[in-house]
Amino acid sequence: MKPIAIFNDFLANLKMWYRSKGTVFWAILFPILLMLIFGAIYQGQGDVTVSLHVQDLDETEISEEFISNLGERLKIETIPSDVDGDNYISDNNIRSALIIPEGFESSIQSAYLGSNESIPLSLSLDPTRESVNGIIRGVLGGTVQGWNNDISGAREVLSYQETSVTAEEFKFIDFFMPGVIGITVMTSTIYGTIFRNTKYRKWGILSKLSTTPFSRWEYLVSKMLFMTFISFFSTFLIIIVGVFVWDISVTIDVYLFIIVISTAFAFSGMGMLISRFVKEEETADSAAGAVTFPQMFLAGTFFPLEVMPSYLSSFARVLPLYYVNEGLRDSMIYEDGSGALFNTAIIFSIAAVLFVVGALATKWTE
Amino acid sequence: MTESIIDIKNLTKNYNGTKAIRGISFNVKKGEVFSMVGPNGAGKTTTVEICEGIRKPTSGSVHIFGEEFSKKSKKTRQKIGVLPQEYRSFERLTVKETLKYYSSFYETKRSIDDIIALLDLEDKKDELYMNLSGGLKQRVGVGMALVNDPELIYLDEPTTGLDPRSRRGVWDAIEILKKEGKTIFLTTHYMEEAEFLADRIAIMHQGKIAAKGCLDDLIHGHGGHYTVLLHGFDPKNVNLLGKEPKIDTNGTVSVKVKNPTEISKILQKVIKNDLKFANLEVKRTNLEEVFMNVTGTTIEEGDAA
Repeated sequence: MKPIAIFNDFLANLKMWYRSKGTVFWAILFPILLMLIFGAIYQGQGDVTVSLHVQDLDETEISEEFISNLGERLKIETIPSDVDGDNYISDNNIRSALIIPEGFESSIQSAYLGSNESIPLSLSLDPTRESVNGIIRGVLGGTVQGWNNDISGAREVLSYQETSVTAEEFKFIDFFMPGVIGITVMTSTIYGTIFRNTKYRKWGILSKLSTTPFSRWEYLVSKMLFMTFISFFSTFLIIIVGVFVWDISVTIDVYLFIIVISTAFAFSGMGMLISRFVKEEETADSAAGAVTFPQMFLAGTFFPLEVMPSYLSSFARVLPLYYVNEGLRDSMIYEDGSGALFNTAIIFSIAAVLFVVGALATKWTE
Repeated sequence: MTESIIDIKNLTKNYNGTKAIRGISFNVKKGEVFSMVGPNGAGKTTTVEICEGIRKPTSGSVHIFGEEFSKKSKKTRQKIGVLPQEYRSFERLTVKETLKYYSSFYETKRSIDDIIALLDLEDKKDELYMNLSGGLKQRVGVGMALVNDPELIYLDEPTTGLDPRSRRGVWDAIEILKKEGKTIFLTTHYMEEAEFLADRIAIMHQGKIAAKGCLDDLIHGHGGHYTVLLHGFDPKNVNLLGKEPKIDTNGTVSVKVKNPTEISKILQKVIKNDLKFANLEVKRTNLEEVFMNVTGTTIEEGDAA
């Protein structure tokens, strides 16, 4: 065994490794990115701004103190006391709300004096946002427990009853399925475009095509037809699994079609733009990953933006995939026409800009 | 006078201040195989890519079929076939599918079965491109350049990296096209390829055409000669041969002469003086030596530069 030979081989491997941008991305940048994103999401709750709407029907010092306790951990939004709480929640599309009943203060005072009276709070939550709900339950449960200890030495004076804010019982999978459609269309179009453009350029296929009567625009149109076809194929496959395996109730409307087509065009355009600057096949992988992974984790695919620190949730709102996810949920699951229209308009505009810029950036020849 | 299919005048091409092509002029005549030879980096591919419309010239004129060639020359594109350098096709299409794909772009089409037969690809027509050997891939590449039955075919280094047998297969295909009367613009850095296939040759060196003409003219014009080699010849008798013979380390005597008449004169001296030798060999100057005489370097040294 020759140590010098082993050392030289090691050195050569090291050189080859750091000269390959793809391996550097997967080995260093990607784990760092994951650590930063998930660390930010799951670190101390102080930075997290989960909001809870509260209707205080008691409007006393004690009820205000209770709300103030909740406000130390949650962002409290007020529901006026003179409206019907349930209607207000439904009309304003509120997804987490607490109603403090009238007589809250007097019941607590009675409990101090030994009465067995209990005070039920009404908590309404959207079941599709389980990760947010967990935080709200944790904060409310802790606060209620603390107050019960103070009042009666742990006897359950305060308690809460949980109901769903929606008429239909949504599950997490209802929330998740549109996100899966969003990331699938995004990854297949971005990876497909970057890999194809980079390989075809490297292999001389684009040069060869440029010498034929087939024009660059014809090529783009055919590729977009293909991407759109693949996107719809994936979308309907996911829907079929969702409907038949998970019993999801899905609405298929015009928004779904516009959003899927826009998503295919937006991310193909993004892919074309990126592949203009990617010279090697190995780099294509990391370039596609660098664009798709942050969106996958930050754009509300796996969990709602409310669980993220405010700076991350603000950042998510500049990501095209966020509008895809929200638009698909509004259209397919919540049947929220205005929400679907708003998000569809945004993703359509993003698609128009990205596709035109990407198409102009795609060159076959000098 | 034979019609010019390609007519290039004062062509230059600069890349970020580097002069890749330095004012070259040449023409390619109808029905000939015109070969541009030279080391890597000499400017062959840049020249052919300008003729194909892949690159724009910095200055100069490019006329193909008598018309100024530009991006918009769709009519011209219908009449040309191209095999780009280091070309790789779609990995997961079969040979037949690949040819059909390219054929679909053209108005005039050559039968795919005919191309497959011409290139001896019958056994491989349903094979995926990714599973073909290097030689077969290049033959498919040549086939792709034929789908529109073109009048003019560009083959940019079609045999680079191939083993001798595969190279021979590509040469055979080019020979058949030549017999069909196609005009072929071939670039190569294999001198023997140009010698074997080309009617006329241009030697490129550092962005310029150092010499051009048919092989015989190049040899005669640039130090052409014959070398008579006498193996196993007694060195004491070399003075009897005249013509300043040289003796190499193996004891082989070599005499340079200009024409076949002088060869026979040497042989007469050998017979007259009853000089003994083991073996006799006559070598003609080849393109590689012409290249050395013209550029002052070998093609390998040119590559390194």
